[in-house]
Amino acid sequence: MNRILGIELRRSAAAGSVLMLLLAGVIMLYVAPRRWSPGWMPLVMIQREYLVLLWPLSLAVGAWQSRREHRSNVAELFASTARPRAQRMLPTLAALGIAVTCAYLATAAVAVPWIIGTARYLPATAFVVAAVGALAMIAAAWLGLALGRLLPHVVTAPALAVAGIGLLMVLPAAVRHREWLALIFSPMFGMGQYTDYQTVYGRVSAAQAIWLVALAGAGAVLLASDSWRTRVAALLPAILGASLAIMVIPRDDKFVATPIDPVAQEQVCAEGSPRVCVSRVHSGLLPEVVPVARQALAMLAKLPNPPTTAHEDTTTYYPATSPPRQADVVLMQITVDDHGHLTHEADMLREMVAALGANTDGCSGPSPSVPVMRAAGSWLMGREPVTDDSDESAEVNAEAVKLWQGLQNLPEKEAAARVGAVRQAAMACADLDGLLTGRAQ
Amino acid sequence: MRWLALYLRSRRVPIALAAVVGCAAVMWSLWSTFSNEREVGVPMVILTVLLLVAAVTATLAGPDDALERTAALSWPPRRAAHLLVALAVVVGLLLATLVTGARFGPAWLVIRDAAGLLGLTALGAVTIGAARSWFLPLGWTLASIVFPLSGVTSSEILTWQSQVPGNKTAAVTAALIGVGGLIAYAAAGPARRAPAEAAL
Repeated sequence: MNRILGIELRRSAAAGSVLMLLLAGVIMLYVAPRRWSPGWMPLVMIQREYLVLLWPLSLAVGAWQSRREHRSNVAELFASTARPRAQRMLPTLAALGIAVTCAYLATAAVAVPWIIGTARYLPATAFVVAAVGALAMIAAAWLGLALGRLLPHVVTAPALAVAGIGLLMVLPAAVRHREWLALIFSPMFGMGQYTDYQTVYGRVSAAQAIWLVALAGAGAVLLASDSWRTRVAALLPAILGASLAIMVIPRDDKFVATPIDPVAQEQVCAEGSPRVCVSRVHSGLLPEVVPVARQALAMLAKLPNPPTTAHEDTTTYYPATSPPRQADVVLMQITVDDHGHLTHEADMLREMVAALGANTDGCSGPSPSVPVMRAAGSWLMGREPVTDDSDESAEVNAEAVKLWQGLQNLPEKEAAARVGAVRQAAMACADLDGLLTGRAQ
Repeated sequence: MRWLALYLRSRRVPIALAAVVGCAAVMWSLWSTFSNEREVGVPMVILTVLLLVAAVTATLAGPDDALERTAALSWPPRRAAHLLVALAVVVGLLLATLVTGARFGPAWLVIRDAAGLLGLTALGAVTIGAARSWFLPLGWTLASIVFPLSGVTSSEILTWQSQVPGNKTAAVTAALIGVGGLIAYAAAGPARRAPAEAAL
């Protein structure tokens, strides 16, 4: 058996398809590394999203392999042998299954060295998501084998690939608001990253795995079948798997539309003081974040009752959540570059100080006065106010410069008290106008 | 006339023609059933062109090319005519839908993609054989539908299949590939295969 499998691995489409799928997968990953550089979970999820191309190609690989007997004119010869068809098909199924799995996992392996220095958080879920992706590839290849045998024509393989990509592209629109249905039947649905804290819940993966195992089983039965009766029987595992998956999958939006991993969002803090914390998924960036955050905290320390801790801003828009508002905590925006390292440090510093360390999230009413905030922030940073918005009218910055000059002319203690008052007012969602002006006390 | 009938039979043209018309009919009915719009979506049009070109590939080689080459016939014009007729069939079939309820257009995009993809397929038939000639057109076109790029010349060349109909870079790329494929296939013919693979 092993000897036959070895021959099959060498002589079938297996080797060629590994190369082709690996090349396609690696090119897609490295065209936009920013999509997966933040961590392991983004990497495995983005790889699942790229199944949009690899899954149809896998179907085509199976269908192409299945035409070999027809192409070599040996179907009749093989039919005359005593060996049962199912036994004869096993090495082909195994060879192709091994090939597509290797291609999928090798693609991930190529990406590993790129982020191994910065990615820390590796939950078990990441392995499950990758395993379901490999399972999807196997199911596609086996289904392709079965359909390619039923219709041994040269156009079968490309037509299957076109049908596969059409299915993946149309499914999300076809199911309308029943997104959970697309989540079962499309291995790439919902895998795009809109935040680094995104995840796939275990029950969703379980439902997907059930469906894909059933689909692969149906393909294997269909390929091994000799009669129309067994071919019809191949529908059974598919129907069974689909109904079981529909029963297992959770339909709540929390699991389907907006799956967030709370453990990835938890703050992990660096040694020493003042305390600087980032979310667990970004914990590899802590050594890069700490100096910038401490510099910002040092600038803010001029204020009365200054903030003493810096946390990462773990706001997500779907679902709309934000970290709690705490007076002693400054929030910082972590941006990750193509290589998984911290980027835009200067912007991060400026934003932390410009907001005076005040978290105004959830304030209703008009947004806080721009000139007052900018003048106060510039005073802390010790530089003249400059605009960072080219659409802004010149008067806004002129007003900020005037207020800033007023602060500069005041004694240090008085200016700090006024800027502190602005910070208190901003945190209380109060009006800021007039807090920097007035007579020196 | 007798020669033509024998040639068409040896290239399995009737079954390929049935496959082309069948694929077009399936795509046409899919759009007619599931969409209220008259203009077919561009990805669907490109996929249909790809499918029809793939269905044509079966005719690019005969059952015994080595024997064919020994004939005292001038093959290059015949091979070129074969490709041009195939292009006319694919384009004609899709342009005919412009008067129906599901319009596979715009015409210029259909012509560009059909010519480019057929040229690519012909290049494949010359180098790796007719049976494998759909590999590159399929992979390239699917990738360019999923990740359409625009703006930079190099990315427009890379995804020429999915560019807007008026795009000059894409048109030039398609024309180069098309003409290249036509010349290569007319001059060299399909790749020689091992006798075991003679039956397509």
